Amino acid sequence: MGVCSSDERRGLEFDLKTIEALAPDQASLSSASKLTKQSNWPRLEKNEQLALIWGECQGSGSNPYRVVVDTGDHGYKCTCPSRKFPCKHTLALMWIAATAPASFTAAGSTPEWVNDWLGRRRKTAAQPAAPAPGAAGKSIGEAARDDENAAVEDPAAIERREAAQRKRAEDTRSSVSAALDELDQWISDQLRLGLAGFVDNSSDRCRRIAARLVDMKATALAGRIDEIPSRLMGLRSEERPDAAIRELGKLVLLAKAWRSTPDDAELRRLVSTSESREQVLANPDAIQVESIWEVLGEKIETRRDGLVSHSTWLLDLNSAAPQFALLLDYFPASAGRRSNAFTSGDRFDARLVFYPARQPLRALVVERKGDIPSGQWPDFGFDAADPLAAHVACQDTAPWLTDCPVMLPPGAILLDDRGEAWWQSTDDPHGIALPIADTVSPTLLGLDLAATAALWSGSRLHLLAAQSGFGRLDLS
Amino acid sequence: MNEIEQTGLATMRDCWITGGTSFELAPAAWKEFAAGASPDERERRLLAIAAQALEIALRPAAPKTLKRRPPLPELALPMLPERLRPFLRAALKQAADARGKSRVVTLVASRGFVLHPMDWMPAASDQTSPDVYAPWIDWQAGVDGEKHTSREQLTAENWDDFYPAARRTALADMRRTAPAVARQLIETKGSSEPAEVRLALIALMHFGLGVDDVPFLKSLSTDRSGKVRELAGRLLARLGQHGQPGDGGPEDPIAELAAFITEGKSGFIRRRTTYAPAKLKSPAQERRRAELFETCNLVDLAARFGVSESDFIGAWQFGADNNVDILVARMVAASGSDAAVTHMADTLVAEGGKPALFVLHLMPRLDSRRQRVLVRLILKDTQYLGALSLAEGVEAGWLDWADLTNGKTLPALRAAVAGNDDAVKRGVDQLLETLGFLATAAAAEKLIGDVVAAGMAPAAPSLGLLRLNASLAGP
Repeated sequence: MGVCSSDERRGLEFDLKTIEALAPDQASLSSASKLTKQSNWPRLEKNEQLALIWGECQGSGSNPYRVVVDTGDHGYKCTCPSRKFPCKHTLALMWIAATAPASFTAAGSTPEWVNDWLGRRRKTAAQPAAPAPGAAGKSIGEAARDDENAAVEDPAAIERREAAQRKRAEDTRSSVSAALDELDQWISDQLRLGLAGFVDNSSDRCRRIAARLVDMKATALAGRIDEIPSRLMGLRSEERPDAAIRELGKLVLLAKAWRSTPDDAELRRLVSTSESREQVLANPDAIQVESIWEVLGEKIETRRDGLVSHSTWLLDLNSAAPQFALLLDYFPASAGRRSNAFTSGDRFDARLVFYPARQPLRALVVERKGDIPSGQWPDFGFDAADPLAAHVACQDTAPWLTDCPVMLPPGAILLDDRGEAWWQSTDDPHGIALPIADTVSPTLLGLDLAATAALWSGSRLHLLAAQSGFGRLDLS
Repeated sequence: MNEIEQTGLATMRDCWITGGTSFELAPAAWKEFAAGASPDERERRLLAIAAQALEIALRPAAPKTLKRRPPLPELALPMLPERLRPFLRAALKQAADARGKSRVVTLVASRGFVLHPMDWMPAASDQTSPDVYAPWIDWQAGVDGEKHTSREQLTAENWDDFYPAARRTALADMRRTAPAVARQLIETKGSSEPAEVRLALIALMHFGLGVDDVPFLKSLSTDRSGKVRELAGRLLARLGQHGQPGDGGPEDPIAELAAFITEGKSGFIRRRTTYAPAKLKSPAQERRRAELFETCNLVDLAARFGVSESDFIGAWQFGADNNVDILVARMVAASGSDAAVTHMADTLVAEGGKPALFVLHLMPRLDSRRQRVLVRLILKDTQYLGALSLAEGVEAGWLDWADLTNGKTLPALRAAVAGNDDAVKRGVDQLLETLGFLATAAAAEKLIGDVVAAGMAPAAPSLGLLRLNASLAGP
C-alpha cells in the first residue's frame, strides 16, 4: 500500500481533463456542471497542507450534502445517496477547484466530519486515481454547453409542458379522490370487522390498502398507512386498540380535509406527493426564518416501502418560545447507510424555509452561514401546566399530525415496575408522567433534566436532547 | 372531556374492538356531528372524534410505583470541557476493552478532569478507575437510601454512612497515612461483612503493609473464607512470614513445587547455586507446576531450598523457559517481599534485553522511579515495544519527548508507519495508544506531528488518545 507523505502531496489544483476522466458518464458531468454555481455551495474550504478541499452542497434533499476531496490522490467522499462514483457533487467540487480556486476559504483545521472520513479511509494508491474504464465519450465542454443550452427554451415548448403538467395534476387529483373513497370504505370495514382483528392482522391489511393507494397516486398516504403496524407493535398489547382508533381516526380527518381543499399544499404533501425544493423556495407563502439553530437529534427509520426516512430535528435558539424545524429526506434503503450531514449538538447560523403548513415544521436550509459554539439553551420560561400544551395546540390546527416536537419543563426519568422509563415533571411529582419509547441509559436516571426536547407520538416520548446540570445530553 | 363523554368513549371503544356500529352508544353531543350521514360515514365521523379525544383529553396513566434513582453525585474534579469531548469519545471508541478505556479515564483524571457521565460510567464492580469516581461506583451499585458519601474521616461509628466504594477509597487513603488506624477499622468492622467485601477490605492492607499488621493477618488464618485466608497468607509472605509448615512429604505443595525445579551449580572457581525449571514429561505436569506457582509463596519456596528470597531470585536462570519465568515473576509480584521485588526488578533491568520484560509483571509493586526506568529501557531498546502494552499500574502522562528521541523508537515507528505490513501497522496502533497514555501533552503533540509526517493520516483513529492527551495541555 502506497502512502503519500505530506511533502510529496500535490497542490490543490485540478485540471478539467482529470475531472472528465474521473466522471462515470456524460450525464454526471452535465449534472455537475449545473452545480458549479457558487450559490449551491454555502461552504467551500480547503487545507493546503493536507491537500484537502471540502464543501457543503445544497442538493435536492433537506440536508446539505457534505463533500470532501483529497487533491493528492483524488480520493473523495460525499454524503449523497447516489450510486455513481464519483457523484455529481464531488465532480462539481473538483470543477470549482479547477475553474475558481479562489472560491475556497483556507481553513486551519478540518471539520469533524472530514476527520471522520480521513480516519476511516485506507489509501490504496500513491498515485492519483486512474481514469475509469469507459472514460471515452465524455466531454466536459459538452457538459458546459448542455447547461447553457438548457437555459434557452422555446415558449411553445413551455406552454406544452405546462399544459401537460396541468393535465397530470388534474388526473392525479381525481385518482387521489377515488383513492380516498377506497380508504374510507376500508376504514369502515375495519370498524365493522373489529379492531382486535385489525391489530392482529394490521401488517397484511395495511399492506393491501397501501398498495391500492400507491396505484391511485396517494403515495404519501400509502407510506403512512404502511407504517401503522410498526407503530402499533411498538406499544403494549392493551394500548394497541386505542392507538388503532387514533391512527384510523386521523386518516379520516386527513381525507376529509383534503376533500375540502385538495389544492392545499400541506394536505397534498401528506396525501400524494411533496413539492420540490425549487417549488418551496419559489412559494411566497413559505416562511423563511433566519436564526441560530441547534441540531437536537435525528431519527433514521427504514420504512416498509423500501425507503429510509432521515429526520433531523432543529431548535431555534433565538426564539422566546421553543420553535422546531424538521429536515426530512428519503432515500432508498438499497443505497446503504448514509453519512450524517449534521452531528447532534451542532449549532449554526442559517436561513431556513418552511414548507407551508398549519404548523410549519418541515424545512429546507436555504443558506447556511457559519458554525456557532455550543452552550445552554435559552430559558423558555415554562409556564404551561400541561407539558404537552404545544402538542395540544398542534392538534387543534392539524389533527392529522402524529409526531409533535415538545420542549418539556424541568423533570427527571423514572422507572416503573416493568423497568420501563417515564418522564415526570419535577414540579409535579405526582402528576402527569409520559412513557418513553426507547430504553434509556441507566445514567440518565440520576440526572435532573432542566429542559428536554422530545417527540410526542400520542402515546410515547422519543427523547432527542436535554439540558442538565451535566450540560447538554444527546438522547436521540 | 366530561364523564358522560368518557363513559361513551369507553363503550364505543369496546364496540369497535369486537366489531359493530357504535352510533347508539355515542354521547349525545358527538351524535350531533354524526347524525344525518350514512351508517358508514357516521361511524367514521365518530371515529375521528374519538381519535382526537384519545389524543388530547386522555393521557397514559402513570403507575403509582414509579421509582426515582438518587441524583448522580457530583465528583470532586471538574468535568472535561465540552470542546474536548469529541477527542475523548474518539479515544474511548478506539480503546478496545475495559482496560483501554480505564487508561483513557486515568489519563484524564491525571490532568484534573472527570468524564461526562453520558460518555463513560464506571461499572458497579469497578476497582481500577481513579478514586475520584468512587461516588459514581456506589451510585451504580444501586444502594438506595439516603446515605451520603461523606468526606469526613471514616470511623467505626460512621462506617455504615459510607457506601462501599467511598469506604474503600477512604480506607486506602488511611492505610497510606495512618495504617494502624485503618487496620483497626478493618479488624473491627470487617468481620461482620460478607466474604466478598471482607476480601476487598483485606486487599487494601497492601497499602502501607508493615510488621505491625502481622498479628491481625495471622488471626485471619482461621477466617471462614478460603480466599481471605489465601490473601492473608500472601500478605504475610510479603512480610517474610512463612505459611503453615508442610510435612515435606508428597502432599506438601512446596515440596511438590521444589521437585519441579532443578538445583544446579555454575562457575569454575566460585561455584554458585542455580535454579532452573526441571524438564517435565507431560503437559499435565506443566499444568500442575503452573498451579503450584500460583498458590505457593516465594518465601516458603526459597526456604525449602534453604536460601533467602533475594538469593533464590538471583540464582534463578531467567531465559531457560519463558513460561516458567513468567510464573516466577508472578509469584514474586504476589508474595515476594518489597526487597525481593526491587531486587528482581533492579537485577533484570540492569541485565536488559528480554529478561527485563519479566519486570513488567512486577509493575504494580514498583515505585514510579523504577516503573519509568523500565519503560524507558523498553523504548530505548525498541526490540520489544509491543510488551509496553502489558504494563499495569504505571502512572499516566510523564513520558517526555527526550525519552522517545533517546533511542531507536521514533525511527522504528516512522518505518512501520511508512511500510506496507498490516501486522506491523496494528502493532503501531497499539504502541501509539500506549504512548498516548504515557506521554506528556507536549510529547503527545510532537509524536502526532512525527507520525503524520511519516505518512499516517492526521485523523487516524489510533492517534485518538494522543490527540486527547495533547488537547489536555492546559488552558
